[in-house]
Amino acid sequence: MHEMGIAMSILESCRAAVVQHGGGRLEEVSVAVGELSALEPDLLQFAWEAVVAGGPDAACRLAIDWRPARQLCPACGEEKPRAPGSWLRLCPDCAGPLRLEGGDELDILHVSFVSYDAEGGGEE
Amino acid sequence: MTEIDVRQRILAANEAAAAEVRSRYRDEGTLVINLISSPGSGKTTLLEKTVARLGGRLRLAAIEGDIATERDADRLRATGIPARQILTGGACHLDARQVQGALAEAAFPAHDILLIENVGNLICPTSYDLGEDLKVALLSVAEGDDKPFKYPAIFSRAQVTVITKADLLPHVTFDVAAVRQQVSVLNPQGRLLVTSARSGEGMGEWCGLLEDLLAAKRAARA
Repeated sequence: MHEMGIAMSILESCRAAVVQHGGGRLEEVSVAVGELSALEPDLLQFAWEAVVAGGPDAACRLAIDWRPARQLCPACGEEKPRAPGSWLRLCPDCAGPLRLEGGDELDILHVSFVSYDAEGGGEE
Repeated sequence: MTEIDVRQRILAANEAAAAEVRSRYRDEGTLVINLISSPGSGKTTLLEKTVARLGGRLRLAAIEGDIATERDADRLRATGIPARQILTGGACHLDARQVQGALAEAAFPAHDILLIENVGNLICPTSYDLGEDLKVALLSVAEGDDKPFKYPAIFSRAQVTVITKADLLPHVTFDVAAVRQQVSVLNPQGRLLVTSARSGEGMGEWCGLLEDLLAAKRAARA
């Protein structure tokens, strides 16, 4: 349910990054979202469209790089998938606690933009 | 078209604000608590009773997160401590910038413990660092003893889980041992307290924990 706030944070950070590079219109933003980050990619996509709508970046695509959970079972000594139907960090084989190795990412990776200069007019 | 590498956490702005809150309160030697639970589990009542026990010897202040009303801040002010309400207007959690804004507007007098009551929600507040020293998860016995495994994110991150409304245990099906077992799996270092604001059970232990943590924070600063 907090995807809207996340989408707003992404837009704010990307706009700030683009302003540092002379300003422009966002074309594509790529983000890494982990399976264990408590975000639903479909909801994030929907929230993104709502956040950019009506603004200069309305056409900007959000590319979500989905990162599956990577959890190590110290007892079994190997990486284990998420147990089907469960989000608990427990080993599907020995039921011991799993150590998180990846899959909780919530990062902005790249931003592509077209500078206002290149479009022959400045809006900022 | 130009591509730039941003490589930053999506919540970087929140994390920066949380770091500022944490730095301010490290300098001031104030303990900051972030209370998280579902609606109706007794966060505000726990705080009222905490003020009743500690208010005589410690200076407390409260920030209350809610969607629509000032009721909780009014209740805390009625106990005699300064309190500021943050109305999120629908958002399901507090973020660190809201806390910074509330602190700037409230301009609380110097305080020993800042009590932040998050919006009633077991899910979304978990992702947002507010600059607290301690995340506390509340679970009332009426909610059921299966909640730690159903909402593992908060119960694995909260350093303290407080079972509330223990006076209702004779009337509900709630196995404290089952909760203790789930919390120990999710969070081996986590502490579990069993409390009743009404009967006073466990309230001494809860308040003692806050005092110990405050003393430890100040000792670390010295």
